[in-house]
Amino acid sequence: MNWQYLQPSAEAETFIIEHLSFIELFNNKCSMINEKGFFELTTETIDVGEIARRVVPANCGATVTLDGYVRQFTSGRETLYLVYEGYEPMALKEMEKLIGKARGQFEIENVGIAHRLGKLEIGETSVCIAVAAPHRRAAFEACEWLIKELKRTVPIWKKEVYRDGEIWIEGEK
Amino acid sequence: MKVQVLFFGATADETGEREIEISLEENVKANRAFAEIVENFPQLKNHKLLFALNQEYVGGDEIIKDGDELAVFTAVSGG
Repeated sequence: MNWQYLQPSAEAETFIIEHLSFIELFNNKCSMINEKGFFELTTETIDVGEIARRVVPANCGATVTLDGYVRQFTSGRETLYLVYEGYEPMALKEMEKLIGKARGQFEIENVGIAHRLGKLEIGETSVCIAVAAPHRRAAFEACEWLIKELKRTVPIWKKEVYRDGEIWIEGEK
Repeated sequence: MKVQVLFFGATADETGEREIEISLEENVKANRAFAEIVENFPQLKNHKLLFALNQEYVGGDEIIKDGDELAVFTAVSGG
């Protein structure tokens, strides 16, 4: 696939082309886009509406958007904030694979995925997935499948910071 | 031959390292190489670990080459 980049600062281009270095080296955001969809990692606030609007082609009738954000209470324990860390080049590759698989399995037209990294306050969006399709059912199904697979395969980790300690959350293997 | 080993999140905290260079014997398979790394950091054994070679999840039978990028991390928790 011929992916191109949004906001291609020189550093970002080097990053994508080499798939080797890390997010500190570029401008807070790494975004890849082509006619099939886009995926990005960012340390800046995710604008869910903007992500949703970017995925809408003319032949679509429904966009399903997931806004995953930071929960304050988990099983009664209060979270102060979260820190997300990613293995950025591999995370981008895995996101690209997910989009390809989703497009193969569901009748959808376009997909956008953005995942935040760094420190996130309560209520801030950590992940946004927007799926546009001619009809809504496929968009709902693809969106659910994408978040499930993202949580299983994309190498990103969440640290929960509490009043009395912190812990790296480990997913299901 | 020398390879890079990357750690993230919990494995970085456990090992106190984010990136190290190690020596491996030639033609070693991935599962053997990762077993060796975990033996050197036994504290990792308390975790559900995943392994990647050159930014792809490993099957186990891949042959490690000089300059490869290995990564050891816990089951992912993004989203």
